[in-house]
Amino acid sequence: MTLLSVQDLNVRFPSGEGTVHASRDVSFSMEPGEVLGLVGETGSGKSVIGQAIIRLLPTSAQITGKIRFDGQELTSLPDHTMHALRGRSISLVPQNPSGSLDPLVRNGMQIAEIFIERGTVKNTAWEKACALLVAVGLIPSDQIAKEYPHELSGGMRQRLTTSIAIAEHSRLIIADEPTKGLDYHARATTAQVLSDIRTRENASLLLITHDLYLAEHLCDWIAVLYAGEIVEIGPAHQIFTQPRHPYTQALIKAMPKNGLVPLDGQSPSLMAIPKGCCFADRCSCHSEICSKEHPGLIQGSLNGGVRCHHPFCS
Amino acid sequence: MSSPVLQLTGLSKSYGHGDIFSGISFEVGSSKTVGLFGQSGSGKTTLGRCIMRIENPSSGHIMMQGMDLARMGLRKLRELRPSFQMIFQHPEVSLNPRMTLAESVAEPLMVHKGIGMDEALKEIAPLIRRVGLRDEHLARYPHQLSGGEVQRAVLSRIFSLQPKLVVADEPTSMLDVSVQAQVLRLMQDLQKETGVSYLFISHDPDVMSVMCDQVLWLDHGNGVMYDRTAFLDRVKTEYTPVAPA
Repeated sequence: MTLLSVQDLNVRFPSGEGTVHASRDVSFSMEPGEVLGLVGETGSGKSVIGQAIIRLLPTSAQITGKIRFDGQELTSLPDHTMHALRGRSISLVPQNPSGSLDPLVRNGMQIAEIFIERGTVKNTAWEKACALLVAVGLIPSDQIAKEYPHELSGGMRQRLTTSIAIAEHSRLIIADEPTKGLDYHARATTAQVLSDIRTRENASLLLITHDLYLAEHLCDWIAVLYAGEIVEIGPAHQIFTQPRHPYTQALIKAMPKNGLVPLDGQSPSLMAIPKGCCFADRCSCHSEICSKEHPGLIQGSLNGGVRCHHPFCS
Repeated sequence: MSSPVLQLTGLSKSYGHGDIFSGISFEVGSSKTVGLFGQSGSGKTTLGRCIMRIENPSSGHIMMQGMDLARMGLRKLRELRPSFQMIFQHPEVSLNPRMTLAESVAEPLMVHKGIGMDEALKEIAPLIRRVGLRDEHLARYPHQLSGGEVQRAVLSRIFSLQPKLVVADEPTSMLDVSVQAQVLRLMQDLQKETGVSYLFISHDPDVMSVMCDQVLWLDHGNGVMYDRTAFLDRVKTEYTPVAPA
C-alpha cells in the first residue's frame, strides 16, 4: 500500500512584490521502505515540498492539492492530530543541524527529552538516548551524551539530529540537505546512517538534496525539480544513465567527475513563471513550441515521466 | 623559471592545546593553482588564514614578492594587501548586509586607491559584466542575492585589485552543483586572463582534481605535496565510494 501520495501540490507565498510560486503541480508517491530523492538547485522548491508534507510552512503559505499519508489526508487534518503525527509517524531531519539543537542542553538530553515528554522515566530515557547515539555511530555514546552540541563536529551534529528523527521509529523520514557543507568522510557516514534507517526500520526516506552523488547512491527514485515543478522523475539509475530532460542532462554534466560543464544563465524568478517551458531560455534545443506551450509530464518509453517537448534532444 | 608568487617555509601554528599544523613548506608558481586538501578540522582554513595574516603563524616564513609576510608590520601589510586576497566559504556572510552590491563591489577600490564611489564603479563596470552580474543586481542587498551571485560579486571585488594570489577557502562547497560549475569555470577563466595564482582549499577530491596542478594533503598537522595523478592515487586508496545501501 502506498505510504505517501502527493497530488498536484501547489504552494504560493503572497508577498508585497507579487506571488511566489514555490511549488507547482507536484505529484509523486512513495511505497513503504522506498527512498525518493528530490534534487534541484536552491530555490527549486525542494524544501517547501518537505515542509508542506510535515505541515511546517509559515501560515502565509497558500497550499492546494492533496497529501495522503497512510490513508489520511494531511492538508485538512486538525492541528492537534497533525501534532501527534509529527515526530512520531513523520519526522524531519532539519537542514541546519547547528540551529536545530539547543546549545544549553546535553547531547543525550536532546534525544531523551522526546521519551520523557511521553512519560518515560529519566534514567530509561537516557539509556534509550545512548542506544540511539550508538545506532548513528556516535561512540563512546555515554561520553558524547554528556557533552554539548558545540563540542561536536558538523558531521556529528548531523548524526545527532538524525538520531532524534529516528527515535520514534517513524514510517516516513524527511531529510533536508543532510550533507550540505560536510566533508567526504562525514558525508559517507551520513549516507550510511540514512541507508541503515531504511534497512533497520523499513522506513521510507524522502531525501531532499542537491548532492547528486548522495542521491545516486541512496535513492530508488529521483524527482528532478526546476523552478518549482518536477521536470523529470524516474528510477535513480535511469536518471543517471538515460537522463531525458535537458536540465537533468546539464546537472549531471556539471558534476566535477563528469567534466564540470557549466550551465549558463539562471532559473526564472518564481514570481514571473514563463508561459511556456521554464527551461526554454537556457536550453540548447528549444524550438518555437517551447516558449509557447507549457509541457506536461509525459511518460514515453521509460519509467516515470519527463516534462519536455524534445526529450533526449542533446 | 620565474620566481614563485608565494613560498612557505616551515610554517607552524599552534593554539594552547597543541599544533594545528607544523613545518609546512611549499610554493605556488605564477598562474598556478595549488590545492589544500584535508578533512574538516585538518587545519586547511587556518593555514589559509595564516597566509592572509588574518591569523598569526607561530613560526616559519611566508615569502611573497621578496618579503616575509609572517614578520611584516600591519602598515606594510595593508600596502601589500591588494596583491593577496581571500574568498570565504560562506557566501551569506561574505558581504556587509547593510551595503548594496554596488557599494560592496566599489569598496576595495575606494579603500585602496582613495577614489570616490562613482569613479570606482566606472572602473569596475567591465569586471562586473565579466563575472556575469547585471546592473539590476547592483541595487540589491546581499540577502536578495543567491549564493552564486554573492560569490561572483566577491570575485569582482577581489579582481578589481588585480591580485597576484587568491586564497579560495571552499568557495563552492555551499553552492549547488550547477552553480559550482559556473563559479569554478569563471575562476579558471579569470586565471587565464589575469595570470593570478590560486591557493584552493577544498575537501572534495573531484573538485581538487579539476582545479589544481598540485595538491598539499593536510593530515594530522603534516602536509604532503602531490601532483594530480599521485593525489588521485591516494584518494583511491583512502576514500571508498559513498556508502551504497
